[in-house]
Amino acid sequence: MMRVRTDAGSMGAAAASRHCCFLVGDECFAVPAEAVAEVLRDGRITRVPRAPEAVIGLVHLRGRIVPVVDMQRHLGLAVTTTARTHLVIRFQDDWYSLLVDEMLDVIDVEEGRVEPCGRASVEGPEEPVRGTFAGPTRLVHILDPHRIVLALARQREQSLQRHGAFHGSV
Amino acid sequence: MSDNREFIEEFLVEATENLDQVDRDLLALEERPEDLQPLASIFRTVHTIKGNSGFFGFSKLGALTHSGEHLLGRLRDGKVRLSGRVTGTLYSMVDAVRSILQAIEETGVEGEQDYRELSQSLVAVAVEDPTGDEPSRPTAGPRSDVAEPSSASVVEAAPPAVPVASVTAVTTPPPAALPAAVATPATAPVPAPIDAARPGPAAVDPSIRVDVGLLASILDLVGELVLARNELRSVAGGDPALEGAVHRIHAVTTALQEAAVKTRMQPIEHVFNKFPRTVRDLAVSCGREVQLVIDGADTELDRTLVERIRDPLTHLVRNAVDHGIEAPEIREAAGKPRAGRLRLRAFNESGQVTIEVQDDGAGIAVEAVRAKAVARGLVDAATAESLPDDRVLQFIFEPGFSTAAQVTSVSGRGVGMDVVKTNIEAIGGTVDVSSARGVGTTVRVRVPLTLAIVPALVVRCGAERFALPLAAVGELLSLRPEGGLQIEGLSGAPVIRLRGRLVPVVFLDALLGLPPVSATRDTGTVVLVRVDDHEFGLVVDGTHGGAESAESEAGRSGSRARLTEAASLTTIVVKPIGGLLAQLGLYGGATVLGDGGVVLILDPRGIRGASHLPPVVRDSDAPSPPPTLPAESYLVCQTVAGRRVAVPLDRVARLEKVTLDAVQQAGDRRLVRRGDAFTDVVDTDRALGLPPTGVPVADGPLNLVVLDDRCGGVGLAVRRVIDVAAAESALQPSLSAPGVSGTLAVGGLATEVLDLAAVTPAVPVPPPFQ
Repeated sequence: MMRVRTDAGSMGAAAASRHCCFLVGDECFAVPAEAVAEVLRDGRITRVPRAPEAVIGLVHLRGRIVPVVDMQRHLGLAVTTTARTHLVIRFQDDWYSLLVDEMLDVIDVEEGRVEPCGRASVEGPEEPVRGTFAGPTRLVHILDPHRIVLALARQREQSLQRHGAFHGSV
Repeated sequence: MSDNREFIEEFLVEATENLDQVDRDLLALEERPEDLQPLASIFRTVHTIKGNSGFFGFSKLGALTHSGEHLLGRLRDGKVRLSGRVTGTLYSMVDAVRSILQAIEETGVEGEQDYRELSQSLVAVAVEDPTGDEPSRPTAGPRSDVAEPSSASVVEAAPPAVPVASVTAVTTPPPAALPAAVATPATAPVPAPIDAARPGPAAVDPSIRVDVGLLASILDLVGELVLARNELRSVAGGDPALEGAVHRIHAVTTALQEAAVKTRMQPIEHVFNKFPRTVRDLAVSCGREVQLVIDGADTELDRTLVERIRDPLTHLVRNAVDHGIEAPEIREAAGKPRAGRLRLRAFNESGQVTIEVQDDGAGIAVEAVRAKAVARGLVDAATAESLPDDRVLQFIFEPGFSTAAQVTSVSGRGVGMDVVKTNIEAIGGTVDVSSARGVGTTVRVRVPLTLAIVPALVVRCGAERFALPLAAVGELLSLRPEGGLQIEGLSGAPVIRLRGRLVPVVFLDALLGLPPVSATRDTGTVVLVRVDDHEFGLVVDGTHGGAESAESEAGRSGSRARLTEAASLTTIVVKPIGGLLAQLGLYGGATVLGDGGVVLILDPRGIRGASHLPPVVRDSDAPSPPPTLPAESYLVCQTVAGRRVAVPLDRVARLEKVTLDAVQQAGDRRLVRRGDAFTDVVDTDRALGLPPTGVPVADGPLNLVVLDDRCGGVGLAVRRVIDVAAAESALQPSLSAPGVSGTLAVGGLATEVLDLAAVTPAVPVPPPFQ
């Protein structure tokens, strides 16, 4: 669908790909740069009742309505700050805005140096972190957009079940 | 090759469209063989395809169209007469050309299919002259290289003499025969006569091809512009020059938005155009004679909708030909013309598009449907008997419902009408059927003009706003703590009483898990939502006058103003919210309002499903159990002294909560003032003959069951309202207890039914409260 331009920087080394790094809490995460649509400073968020907990609402992004995923909640971190940056990513035909604390650099991630898992806190098939990479200055947890979406879908199913149970009382 | 890609695509689109025209021309030709105009048009199209295929190097296509052109040329020159066999072969050629074009579109090459036998048939038909009035057959002009050497054997290889029904089979790979002779002619020089037919369409086409994605982005940009305009308007206050400019921008933007919306519209012709051919093929394979009439093909619909009604309509057309229209002999025996008439009609009607598929066939056997509905347990026999015929007919849309005695290859496997209904409803449409035995059947499909832009009602619920498609909104009702509309049965299944009907209600805040805005639910707005055949009230905006008391008269008077504040009408552009949230099933999308805020669009069908409303029988007119509560429903209350009593619900005018200090003493009456009138307050316990219990009336509000609304009415004071419930047993008359007409089971408990005539004497009752 989308033609990926092959420039020397990203394809030169064996299996290195560019990733955008960002802070959530005090941990550093990254998503593949090719998935990133844009970065947005602020946006008016509309709540979506009954959505998975991590989906805190919708933002309007130039004609598109994009769900906002609070990465603090999504990654199971303490929900602390309110200063937020929208990192808008594309996955398949849908767009998602990841609410992160602060954008950092763009780095080259060598696939061979991605360790299986560096985050002990969460495990399982929906763990959105697919591996950890020792970046130039710090450890970077590599997020897989597909897994993010899978995890959200699972949370949605759980929320729907709770929703179902809720009805008797009204 | 890839350089040509763009041109090839253009060629494919154009050729495919022209083939549709060829189908229509062939049909016209069959009807009036003497008319040369359609023949010339077919010739032009085939010739153009041939020319282009030579240009792009599609040799199979070239060979096939070359043979077709040859046959058409002979037809035009009167050397061959039109027969069922000729048209059948030409239809096969059109199909073959289509499948080659499709292969090219999908794979870029012509594919493995072998069309030589078909080419031979075309040539064979061209040389054959059944009437024998053309003696010069052997020298077939410039094409003797193709036809001459093999004319005898080719005729044998051609389809049998009555091929019409089986012509489509020709496109399957036949055993190779005569490989060399036919495969080459594409490179042969084109003979002269064709030049006259070379010009393309007579008039200059005033339209251009635009990518749909581009149109969508234009619409998005216009949406952005609308938002920017609104912002501009809000900051332009004061400066007259600026305001003038803003005003013009406003007008232009509005016009631009309308124009942008129109670009998405497409005449329904794009669907209807396929039907002449479909009907012809069906008629042949089902052994019917059908005359197809199309009306209103220029009716416009949103492009996406045009695509999505194609399959349901095709199904309806198939049904009409296969099951509706009878075989010619049967029709003749019934005194009808041999050829059945199938009418497709599209027209605009109250903001929607109605499409009718009407046949003059045998009609649907209502009794068979009725029997089947009972057999399938959709309805009980007694109810079925009492249902009017047009209601019974709608059962054919139930899953797996088919009355066709004969299963044919075309239709009648018991699937279909339910799928039609599902597909139509998925795009916000409706479908219904009417039929008269022996006269015919009409299926009426109604779909919205567009899905992208819909009128909507924006409602408020607590701090949130939601949009509700107006198509689903029946009316708006204002809840009022006194006198007006109230929600009953709060502790059980909440309902509102509306013109004699009890309509279940859904609290939007509770459904969505929002903080409840009102515990007593005596304020707010009820949006009456109609979806499919169901109806429910959606309670929104309970924020105003959150206090339950009967005070704040001023707030009540402005109910209309409150309504406008709670809900506003607007036109919204529906935007998808992505699979993740769409699958919650509650939202149909989102939209951006004029103030830039994003608002979710509620899906009425989803809300109905999520709120587990009681199932409603399809027919509200039927004497079967009504959707919500049976006729014998009772309001169950607990008196101050703790007795469980019931009041026939149809006697209850309203429920009211009053504070004790609102009860005024006037003579020996206790009254509650309500506007200009006074409500008599009756101590229910006392009316039941119990001595005053001395139980202090609770500090909280007092519940009044108001019986007669005239002149303020009479209110029975009770401690609380327990439920609205159906009687579960017959009333057992009571002889002894005063004020009680009998006892029956309600809600699983024996409950005394108040004798209202006894407990509410016309004369004011003695002072009820200690």
